[in-house]
Amino acid sequence: MKEKIREAHKVIAEAFEKHYKSILCWTGGKDSTLLLWIMIRFCEGEGLSLPEIVFIDDGDVFPEIWDFINSTSKKWNLKVTILKNQDILQHVQEIGDRIDVNKLSKENQNELRKIGYSEEVFTYEPESYAGNHLLKTVPLNQHIVQNGIEAVFTAIRRDEHPARREEVFFSNREEPPHIRIHPILNFTERDVWNTIFEYKIPFCSLYEKGYRSIGARYNTRPTDSKPAWLQDFDLIPERAGRGQNKEQIMDKLRALGYM
Amino acid sequence: MGFKTLIIGLDGVPCSVIKELANKGVMPCIKDLMEQSIWGAMEVCLPPLSSVSWSSFMTAKNPADHGIYGFTDITPEYKLHFNSFLDIKTSTLFDRLGEKGLRSVVINLPSTYPTRSFPGVLISGFWSLELKKSVYPSSLLPFLKEINYKVDIDLPRAREDAKYLFESLRDTLQMRKKVAEYLWDREEWNLFMLVVTGTDRLQHYQFKSLIHKEGIWHEEVMDYYREVDELIEHYVNLFKSQGGDLVVILSDHGFTELKKEVYINSLLEEKGFLKFKNKSPDFISELDPKNTVAFALDPARIYVNLKDRFAEGIVSQKDFDKVRQQLQELFDNLNFEGQKVVKMVKMKEEIYSGKLMDKAPDMVLVSEDGFDFKGAVNGAGVFRDSDLEGMHTFDNAFYLIHTKDNSVKPPKNIVELARFIEENY
Repeated sequence: MKEKIREAHKVIAEAFEKHYKSILCWTGGKDSTLLLWIMIRFCEGEGLSLPEIVFIDDGDVFPEIWDFINSTSKKWNLKVTILKNQDILQHVQEIGDRIDVNKLSKENQNELRKIGYSEEVFTYEPESYAGNHLLKTVPLNQHIVQNGIEAVFTAIRRDEHPARREEVFFSNREEPPHIRIHPILNFTERDVWNTIFEYKIPFCSLYEKGYRSIGARYNTRPTDSKPAWLQDFDLIPERAGRGQNKEQIMDKLRALGYM
Repeated sequence: MGFKTLIIGLDGVPCSVIKELANKGVMPCIKDLMEQSIWGAMEVCLPPLSSVSWSSFMTAKNPADHGIYGFTDITPEYKLHFNSFLDIKTSTLFDRLGEKGLRSVVINLPSTYPTRSFPGVLISGFWSLELKKSVYPSSLLPFLKEINYKVDIDLPRAREDAKYLFESLRDTLQMRKKVAEYLWDREEWNLFMLVVTGTDRLQHYQFKSLIHKEGIWHEEVMDYYREVDELIEHYVNLFKSQGGDLVVILSDHGFTELKKEVYINSLLEEKGFLKFKNKSPDFISELDPKNTVAFALDPARIYVNLKDRFAEGIVSQKDFDKVRQQLQELFDNLNFEGQKVVKMVKMKEEIYSGKLMDKAPDMVLVSEDGFDFKGAVNGAGVFRDSDLEGMHTFDNAFYLIHTKDNSVKPPKNIVELARFIEENY
C-alpha cells in the first residue's frame, strides 16, 4: 500500500516537474477523495500549490455527496470549482424530461452534432451516451479550453473495468488536447479501502449504506445492505449497482429466450 | 366527457389461435365481439419483439422514428445498451392526447420502464427492475405495495416449473384486475389500456399444450384463456354500459411452434464474417473489430462493421452493398436438413423510414415458421434445441375494432391501428 502511495507520488511529481497547468477532478467518491488526499500530502510535503479542484454537477447528485463535498472542503480548506452544463440544467427538473434540441444553446447543439446525435429531442439522462457527453464531458472540456488547462488528474483505477485494463499513467487526449494523469491506477478496490482506514481519510456516508460505486442518483443503487468495504469484492462486482443492472435485465430476457 | 377508448392488449396471441379459442367456446366474449366488430390478422414490425412492437404501437410510428429496434442496441464503441422507455425518441400517442388535455390510464404496457412524467397513470410492463420506477404518479406506489403488485412473474422459475407458471399467471391476472378496478372510477380518463403479458409467457413455455389437445397442460392453458376472456368481458361490458366509444383488442405479434433455434452469430463466425477477441465470449461487445465484417444483435438484426458507423469499422461505404449481397446469399442458402431457414431478408431501406435510419440494422431476417433466430454469442453451434416451445412471428398478430363507426377499414399493421385510434381524438 505504501508502495502504491509512493508510486502515486512519483506520477504526481513527474507531472509537476513539467509545470503543467492542471486540475483535479473530484467526484466526492472514495477514489477521487483518496487521490485528493494523496495530492494534498504531496503538495504540502513539497511546498507546492494544489491544482484547481473541479466538481462536475450533472444535475442528479446525491445529497450525501453534496454534504460530503461541503464538509470535506471546509475541513481541508479547499476551494472547489463547480462545473455544469447550465443551459441544459435550466430546462430540466426530472430524469426523463425532454428538451427540443433547437431550444438548446448553439454550443450544445454543436456538441450533439459532434457525437452524431441526430434526434430532435434530447432526453435528460446523465448516464446515457449523449447525456454523459453534454452534462459531464462538455463542461469539463469547456473549462479546459477557457482556462488553458494542460493536464487533468483523475482517479481511475485499472481494476474497475475491463476497459481500463490498458490504461497508462499519462494519457494524451485530443479535442481539446490535454494530458490525463492517473496516479492511483494500480490501486485495487481493496487497496483504496485499506488506505482510507489506515490513514483515516474521510468518505461519503453512502458507502456505509452499501453503495460500492457512486454515479448519478437515478441510476445508482446499493449492491448490498452491508457497508461497501465489508462486501465480497469477488462475488459482487464494484459497479454492479451502477447503470442498467445489465445482469438482471439479461436474466429476464434470457428466461424468455430472447438473448 | 369526450371520446373514450378501451384498449386490451394480449401479448403475443396469434389471430389463428384466438379464432380457434373463440370457436371452441373457450373465449365466448371474444366470439361475441367478433360478430360485432371488424377483426383479423395483421403484421407488426421487424423484428417482431414486444419492445419494438409496443413502442411502435404507443408512438404510432416505425422504429426509424421512435428509435427502438430491439431489446438491445449497440453503440459506436460496440457497447451493448438495453433500451428503456427513456430511449423512445418521439412522443407517445398518450403524450399527444395529454397535450389536448386528455388523460390516459395505462397498465402493464411493455417498454415503459422507467416511467417519467405522464398525462395520466402509467404502470410499466416488462422489463422492469424496481417497483418505484414502474409507476407514475408515485402516489400510487402504496396501493401497489399493499396488493403485492408484481410487474412480472419469476420467469426462470416459470420456465422450469409448469405448476408455478399457471399459479403465478393466474395470480398476476388477478393483480392486474385489482389495479384496473382501483383506477377505473378513481381516475378521469379518455383512454384506458390494459395489457395482459401472461399470454406471451405461457406461449413461450407451453405452446404445445395450447395448440394440441393432448398437450400435458392443455386444460390448464384453456383455463387461463378462459380467465382472460372473463376479464375482457367484464371491462368491455362495463365500458359500453358507461357509453364508451371504441374498444380495441390487439396482440403485438404472432406466435408459432418453435422447432429449432438458429444462432446467427455462430453462423457469421463460421463463415468468417465475425471474429471474437477471446475463445468464449459472453457479449457481442467482445468482437474483434479489425476482423469483423458483420455481426448480429437479437434476434436477427444484421450490422455491417462500417467505417463511418463504428469506432473501429473496417468496411468502407463503397463495399457496403457488396457485403450485404454476400450476406443475403449466405442467408438465402441457409438450410437445415433440406429445409429453408430464412423466409425473407429485408434491407433496412425496405422496412424502415425516418430520421433514425442511421441507427437501424442494415438487414433484418425473417424466419420460416419453426426456426427461431438468436443473437446470443455464447455456446456452440448454429442449430440448437430448446426447452422453449413457442416463438414470435411478425404476421398473424390479432386486431379487433369494436365501434359504432361502420366505415372503419382493417389496419394493415400495428402502426396503422395505433394511428386509427389516435385519429378519433
